[in-house]
Amino acid sequence: MLRLHLKTIPAGLAASLLCAVMAQAQSATPAPENGTLEVEQVFAGTCGFCHSDGGRAAGKGPQLMNSPRDDDFIRDRIKHGKPGAMPAFDGAFTDAQIDQIIKYIRALKPREG
Amino acid sequence: MRKQWLNSGLPVLAVAAFAASAALAQTVDTARIEGAGQNDWLTYHGSYKSHHYSPLAQINANNVGNLGVAWMHVPGRSTRGLQSMPLAADGVLYYSGSYSRVFALNGATGEVIWSFFPELDEALISRQTHSPYNRGVALGEGKVFVGTMDGRLFGLDAKTGKVLWETRLIDSQKLTVGFTGAPLYAKGSVIIGSQGGEWPGRGPIFAVDATTGKKKWEFLTVAGTDEAMKTWANDSWRTGGGGGWMPGTYDSETNTILWGTANPAPLYDWSGPDYKTQGARPGDNLYTSSVIALDIDTGKLKSYHQELPHDAWDFDSAVGEFVMLERDGQKYVVHPNKGGFVFVYDRNLGVKNVWRLVENINFVKDIDPKTGALIGRRDFPVGKVTEPPLCPFIGGGISWNSGSYSPKTGLYYKIGQEWCMTLDIQKTTPVTAPQVQLNIGADFKMAPPPGGEIYGHLDARDPITGAKKWEVRYPEPPLGSVLSTAGNLVFVPDSRGVLHAYDAETGAELWKHNNGTGHQGGIVSYSVGGKQYIAVTAGFGGMLADEYAPNFGGVYKSMPRDDGALVVFSLK
Ligand code: HEC
Repeated sequence: MLRLHLKTIPAGLAASLLCAVMAQAQSATPAPENGTLEVEQVFAGTCGFCHSDGGRAAGKGPQLMNSPRDDDFIRDRIKHGKPGAMPAFDGAFTDAQIDQIIKYIRALKPREG
Repeated sequence: MRKQWLNSGLPVLAVAAFAASAALAQTVDTARIEGAGQNDWLTYHGSYKSHHYSPLAQINANNVGNLGVAWMHVPGRSTRGLQSMPLAADGVLYYSGSYSRVFALNGATGEVIWSFFPELDEALISRQTHSPYNRGVALGEGKVFVGTMDGRLFGLDAKTGKVLWETRLIDSQKLTVGFTGAPLYAKGSVIIGSQGGEWPGRGPIFAVDATTGKKKWEFLTVAGTDEAMKTWANDSWRTGGGGGWMPGTYDSETNTILWGTANPAPLYDWSGPDYKTQGARPGDNLYTSSVIALDIDTGKLKSYHQELPHDAWDFDSAVGEFVMLERDGQKYVVHPNKGGFVFVYDRNLGVKNVWRLVENINFVKDIDPKTGALIGRRDFPVGKVTEPPLCPFIGGGISWNSGSYSPKTGLYYKIGQEWCMTLDIQKTTPVTAPQVQLNIGADFKMAPPPGGEIYGHLDARDPITGAKKWEVRYPEPPLGSVLSTAGNLVFVPDSRGVLHAYDAETGAELWKHNNGTGHQGGIVSYSVGGKQYIAVTAGFGGMLADEYAPNFGGVYKSMPRDDGALVVFSLK
């Protein structure tokens, strides 16, 4: 499977690259295995439901951009969630994938325009 | 202006007479629910007619100023608030709280008769989103029925709360979702619909034998027939979403269950205008965002209307009551859709009219009132949706709680929500292993309507034509259900925590009371020992309520989202 590190490429390009990936992945059920994660896609699929604007604004969950929390806190929250607030994702992601998510969160910038 | 609304003495006397016989509890059966005896509230929507109306008039527009708290009950562990519709039969009030806790209370005093706290798979629940609230129970054949977040349906002894049977219906370990909606009892069956929508799955609706708990049938709202299978290209039906997370109703004349179905997954498709051939789920995606008529005995589909073919906006039909009424010899079913339109059908779900409850709608230009066809749909490709934002917001122009129809005024009282959202549509891939994950298909954010502000409104309208008689506005959309009564009253529990009573003819506010926390559940009226009560659930939190603190601040900032109480009122 093709792997992309989206945080390093401009959003527009990322989107078009994603199209290419998705065209192939259409009928598969790509559980994030041990591999690298499409973090932007994870947000558009799951996290962004609560962390508005891809984590850039508060919604059901807090804004993640510029989070004052340290990595351990964020890792723990993603793994174990918080009852009645955020689901636990320890069954869904490996530690390495959660590290990738943390990197994405740390790299979040306001959208231009 | 206060109107002198005189209740004839007759109904009051009748109330007293009924109350005397209430001590002799009969069992709740289909005929009794159909008859909707005025002292009781026997099913989620009040009766199969789904009026959410009480014929009681002891509490009325003249004396509502004397309404005060009779008693309260605190269920505890109200994670994401208290969202259920209480039921009342023969002087006993039944209701459920988060984690499917069920209580039977003395309707006059609040004294606990029994309680039932099911042991749930808490590890599973910690992985869910639309959880662990419960929206209500059903009564029938001396039993109380309740669904659970981990995919089970329970039949409890109504006298003792003892488990008579327990049936696993959904493999929630795999599918992540379970049941939050109230079941419907009718004709020896308990009907309950699964959660679904943005959760990849096939959204089953089940019928279970009320006596034994054995599954009778299952209808898949995603590609449940050969015809429907053809409306999901590229095998997308496997992760189609759907479901029927709120109770529908029963039409005894046609032996039919009417049910509203949820949206397809992902919520937001990147197909652009070519949605029949492109995108995540090419085709119309039957039977999502539809109203369906199923034979109650077999679960066979008899008729349907897909309110939103290929719903690309999360405006499902699972919300909303099926209001049954007659006018000029014609029988109608009125059903609101989350997008903000209200559909009027004949009893076979043939479209008779479509009208707008909500002002800010732009996911379509219009809906043809003669055919129900969508006109000028907005189908988004990958990328931003900002100019204009999509209206309404993901919370809908209409949310899942119920409106109320008063046969006395002939008016339908319904909450509308005015808000919009910006989006960034993205391609996603459904995740189904090891456990199904949400599939939204966009990043998004709440936004005000173009050139206006966010607000909510209670409308009093003709249910068939949509003609508006009056409107009351609220700074933030109320999320609870509405109750109208023969006492010429309409009750609205709002989001800030205030319960309002209005004159049903004019909309003039006659009384209000602060329950101390936001409302987003049911409200009913019943009578015990000749005394009328109004019962409302208070307690905020959940997928829509959680958007209030960051977007509106104010009282929502400190409002608990893990607390709640049942508050019951009577005349002082
Ligand atoms: C159902 C809503 C929901 C979903 C889905 C969700 N979150 Fe959260 N998240 C929350 C809420 C609510 C909080 C705040 C919890 C609290 O009260 O401390 C939170 C907190 C967090 C925090 C800690 C932020 C802070 O400042 O405390 C991080 C990091 C986070 N979420 C990441 C994620 C990621 C990554 C995903 C997707 C894999 C995700 N969330 C999915 C609701 C959600």
